Amino acid sequence: MSELTEELKAKIISQLNLEDLTVDDLDDNTPLFGNGLGLDSIDALELIVMLDKSYGIKLSDPKEGRKVFETVQTMADFIEANRK
Amino acid sequence: MIKPIYIHGSGCISVQPTFEAGYFFDTLRAYQLNPVPALDPDYKAFIPALQLRRMNKSMRMAIFAAKLAMEQAGITAIDAVITGSGLGCLRDSERFVENLRAEEGSSLNPTPFIQSTHNMAAAALALSLDCKGYNMTYVNNANSFESALLDGMIYLTEHSSQTILLGGVDELGERTTQFWNLAGYLKHHNPILPLPLKEEAAPGEINTEGATFFVASQQRGRHSLGQISAVETRLETGTPEAFIQDFLQRNHVAINTLDAVILGCNGDVRYDNVYWALGNSCFAGLPQIAFKHALGEYDTVVAAALFLAFGIFRHQYIPPSLLLNDRQPRSLQRILIYTQRRGQNHSVILVER
Amino acid sequence: MSPIVPIAVTGMGAISAIGNDVAENFKSLAEANHGIGPIRQLETCHEERLLAGEVHMSNAELYDRLGLPQDIAYTRSTLLALWASREALEAAAIDPTDGYRTGLISATTVGGMDATERYYDDYLASAKNRSFIPTHPCGYAAEQIAGQLGIADFVTTISTACSSAANAIMLGARMIRAGLLDRAIVGGTDCLSRFTVNGFNSLMIYTDGHCRPFDENRNGLNLGEAAAYLVLEAEEVARNRAILPIAYVTGYGNANDAFHQTASSDNGEGAYLAMQQALEIARLNPADVDYINAHGTATPNNDLAEGNALLRMYGSASALPPFSSTKAFTGHTLAAAGAIEAVFSILALQHQVVFPNLNFSQPIASLNIVPQTGLAAKKIDHVLSNSFGFGGNCSTLIFSKDHD
Repeated sequence: MSELTEELKAKIISQLNLEDLTVDDLDDNTPLFGNGLGLDSIDALELIVMLDKSYGIKLSDPKEGRKVFETVQTMADFIEANRK
Repeated sequence: MIKPIYIHGSGCISVQPTFEAGYFFDTLRAYQLNPVPALDPDYKAFIPALQLRRMNKSMRMAIFAAKLAMEQAGITAIDAVITGSGLGCLRDSERFVENLRAEEGSSLNPTPFIQSTHNMAAAALALSLDCKGYNMTYVNNANSFESALLDGMIYLTEHSSQTILLGGVDELGERTTQFWNLAGYLKHHNPILPLPLKEEAAPGEINTEGATFFVASQQRGRHSLGQISAVETRLETGTPEAFIQDFLQRNHVAINTLDAVILGCNGDVRYDNVYWALGNSCFAGLPQIAFKHALGEYDTVVAAALFLAFGIFRHQYIPPSLLLNDRQPRSLQRILIYTQRRGQNHSVILVER
Repeated sequence: MSPIVPIAVTGMGAISAIGNDVAENFKSLAEANHGIGPIRQLETCHEERLLAGEVHMSNAELYDRLGLPQDIAYTRSTLLALWASREALEAAAIDPTDGYRTGLISATTVGGMDATERYYDDYLASAKNRSFIPTHPCGYAAEQIAGQLGIADFVTTISTACSSAANAIMLGARMIRAGLLDRAIVGGTDCLSRFTVNGFNSLMIYTDGHCRPFDENRNGLNLGEAAAYLVLEAEEVARNRAILPIAYVTGYGNANDAFHQTASSDNGEGAYLAMQQALEIARLNPADVDYINAHGTATPNNDLAEGNALLRMYGSASALPPFSSTKAFTGHTLAAAGAIEAVFSILALQHQVVFPNLNFSQPIASLNIVPQTGLAAKKIDHVLSNSFGFGGNCSTLIFSKDHD
């Protein structure tokens, strides 16, 4: 599981161009949106693309993303549950 | 009628270190390539990382140049943003086209699409400055900045108590440069900057990129850099000299009251003749200054000529590296800028101290 | 202060998915015949799933009917613009050599991208289509149009996403009032492209099926292609030429939402400010507006933001004048939207009707505002038209039967 969260952190950093952050800076349970990392709706769309391309999971409704992308941990849980 | 506007601050990013404090074309960086990317200042000085990550080069350059201008003008807020860009956010446009050609049908990253929108630099400025006022972008080839400038003058005549940002920005694109090359725009023979304008004359331009922004209002301040009195453009004319003379007449300015003229010659032998002809006729008695041989060519580079003009007023000195002839000015109070690109998009701007 | 010059509209031209000229567009609006369907001309892998409003003419047909030389490169956006601007000039009986200072202010976001995306690799491999290379920049179309129409005094292009043409109309009015021009041909054009179809799809705001503006269950837009142009003249000039104005541009406003790169603020601040400015210029109160042609793209975000802005302006749902989005007819025509909808606004004035907002069944729960769903005869003196674009660019125009 922790391998997936580490992998996710690396992907998030590169996909969202967070050049100033390292994998160590990202905590599994920090809120990614709102008051935590401060990501926005475009980042959410980028994460949806990442879910599809890297893990074969398609989210058809951007609103679904809200719950899935709450933290690195919730993303990892979702992927474990749904990956092909 | 529209009124002149006063400039209180300016900022310029280019292939020369124009954003460095104290730099005024005393030395010119040399390049031996075409195209030449603009020098990057430390963007983080003005832009937080969380915003910077979502900014392409056009947006970064625009914000940095605008903030330099605002710093010089001593302000932190602005009422309106008016910009020009010939090609908009080119690299993101290319990226999105490449993505869709490779992967249409599968998930495409939305960021390059969003950032390819031509008014993104003006939008980034509005966001960064929390400016809910008038926000406009002209994408009009080599008269993009001049259209923004004209709109700015109209706007300030309508809103005489406001202060606005006016600017021009253009960035390079890799594939687009290859297209321009195929279209015959680029110089192959000895592509160097600074460009010897008359010797070894050859077809083509040195393509570069940059951003230049100004803070403008209708109020002359104690530390104003100068005023922009008038601007005019003409898509095509067979008689550039008549175009310029008519402009001067309409603005009640006699040619012999000009102190210098800045010309848009760029080393493209196919189109520079118009400047040499003017230099030998109506401008013969004047100090003639060039800028594209140092800054290269892109649609909104004329904004950098304006930046140069205000620098000349401030220092009361024409950098020798930019002077084309050996006429020395008697004073430096009134400068005319004339430029065109590939035989079209003529423009004339009158600036005064 | 000099008196404010009334801005007369003396001609208009339009081409869209619902008609090849102004009269055909009106007929479709009046008969509730939309133009949204499967994508037939643009080659894209989305052509069956995503519906769009395509103009029913191929590029070859446009070349032919415009009498253009085959060896000169005109992109589809330019072809549509030439078509519509010619209709406008003819309607206004303009002779560009008559001595009046005439400008062309056009708008586009696609520019020559339809050619660039098609020939992106081709250009490198063979010389065959390279004549299209110079057509890429947004400013190129206006230059070609100016050449074709004989306009030399002033030419420019605005590109501010979906508010572009509204801004072009606004600049035309302002330049005439500033005494810089006697008349201006103003408007915009955008053709369908893989770039925009895929772009909006990647933002997950392209609906499958037909868009449902202001509906609780709306889930995105349909794209469309169109071009439309108005001829604006100082009223005195129109009088001297003995041409009867068909409407007046009485109000305009542009403001920035300054909230997010693409999304609008929930309370529609930019929209509200733009509408307020337009009313101020027109010297009208909100209650004086008889019909609102909304931006109404049917994205979850826009319609909520615009709806909120309308409610702020009017105070309650019951105080709202009849409003509708015509985008379920034409699709969202991006840079042309402000102009094609300006034409529709003027048609509403001419025919004294409010056009229907198609595909509506349930109001947005938090707003409870209901658009006009059927064609309705109404006394209309003033129409307000909204166009909001990416980058928070919000523009509003007001068209009136008369000026004060």
